[in-house]
Amino acid sequence: MQALSTAATGMMAMDLNVQVIANNLANMTTTGYKRQRATFQDLLYDHISRIGTQTSAQGNILPVGIDVGSGVKTVGTARLMTQGTLAPTGNALDVAIRGDGFFKIQMPDGTYSYSRDGSFQMDAQGRIVTAKGNVVLPTITIPQNSSGLSINAQGQVSVIQQGSTQPTILGQLTLTRFINQAGLLPIGDNLYTETPASGAPQDGVPGTDGAGDLLQGTLEQSNVDSVSEITNLIAAQRAYEMNGKVITAADQMLSTTSNLMR
Amino acid sequence: MENILLVGLSRQVALGREMDVVANNIANINTNGYKADGSLFAEYLGSGASAGSGGAKISFVQDSGVWHNMAQGAIERTGNPLDLAIDGQGFLVLQTQRGERYTRNGALQINAQGQLVTSDGDPVMGDNGPIKFQPTDQQVAISRDGTVSVRQGNSNVDSIRGHLRLVDFASPQQMQKEGGGTFSAVDGAAPQPTKTAAIVQGSLEQSNVRGVVEMSRMIEITRTYMQVSSMLQQQDDQNQQAIDKLADVPG
Repeated sequence: MQALSTAATGMMAMDLNVQVIANNLANMTTTGYKRQRATFQDLLYDHISRIGTQTSAQGNILPVGIDVGSGVKTVGTARLMTQGTLAPTGNALDVAIRGDGFFKIQMPDGTYSYSRDGSFQMDAQGRIVTAKGNVVLPTITIPQNSSGLSINAQGQVSVIQQGSTQPTILGQLTLTRFINQAGLLPIGDNLYTETPASGAPQDGVPGTDGAGDLLQGTLEQSNVDSVSEITNLIAAQRAYEMNGKVITAADQMLSTTSNLMR
Repeated sequence: MENILLVGLSRQVALGREMDVVANNIANINTNGYKADGSLFAEYLGSGASAGSGGAKISFVQDSGVWHNMAQGAIERTGNPLDLAIDGQGFLVLQTQRGERYTRNGALQINAQGQLVTSDGDPVMGDNGPIKFQPTDQQVAISRDGTVSVRQGNSNVDSIRGHLRLVDFASPQQMQKEGGGTFSAVDGAAPQPTKTAAIVQGSLEQSNVRGVVEMSRMIEITRTYMQVSSMLQQQDDQNQQAIDKLADVPG
């Protein structure tokens, strides 16, 4: 009976759905986290009798065919790149992006990765780094004995050096945009890397060419909406249960058949 | 004598098929844009098969078709600008390897070339081919009639990127499901632009499978299956008794 395997595909899909929801809920307070959504499609159909088959020499055609589907498949766990809520923190090295774009991060192996998490720190050399200690590109070094670190909406980093009253511009933070942000590969630690699906990275100045603005002293919270996640969780759990019932019912039918023979 | 077994068998085969259809509906209860299927049965009169002399003709059951329930599914708000729900009768047009296909699943993406595509990567067609975005485009807005507009770079004026094709068929019942949320049109059915359907941006159409209906249909199937089965059992007992009794000739 095909119903058994059809229901099994349903249970597997809902299992994955619950996994995705669990990961979203676990990352509810992760800075810059973008929620994922499992998307499903119906599987192949067995066209037992084709729609539109001629049933007579007069050209009458079948108005309905017999198409029996074989279940459901997961096509992807698309990431929803909508803006997260901006929460003020008051920390001078917390930077949130309002709009599109990613910070470019230098990885220890020389490759680049991209992040929306702007909770930056300063390392021993005074460079702006991520919480993991990876350098934020372009490298900006904050001199010792300086004060009043300021990052403006266009990404200009300036400080007031000792003995001076005028701010000194140290450098310019850039934002990288991708034509398909959802196509980036998540590698953990709030980082993404480029893929053939994301398109080539385009570095730009914040606030120009479609890139977002920067907000100092603010962090972008995750865009997970707990209410919708919980509703999805309920729906997924019930769907799982119903598919389980189908397996039970199909099993009953098979056992009825086998009990015919005594 | 064996007619009853065959009648019962025809019913059980049909019920097995209906169970497969119900299982597929339930498996797709969370599939966006999925349309539920239902089974149709027809009576089939066996030629020459008759119940005894002068009796009525024996009829078997035959599954004659699976119909698609094209009713609107619930529209769920997601807030994602590339999620489109179709309100009313209509389909989005996709360009696939196999030719033009139609879908109601509007969970769209942008690919590396900037084209508007489905989760499978098939481009969604506008009036003049696939919809294509520029690298600096932002704030994608899709109006109810399917006009796709964006703000390019820092411009304050909308730029139009195309107009989504929204089509309908004279009899959408006759469309064939191809899996992957797509439908194909039967030969001779031409898509017509629809004026009644509207696009709702930031929402998705959920599957129109109703859990309660499918569950009760499933109970009905299993119960009927058991009844037919016990009927066959009784017939078998009857045969057994006939053999025993008739063979029991007093010596």
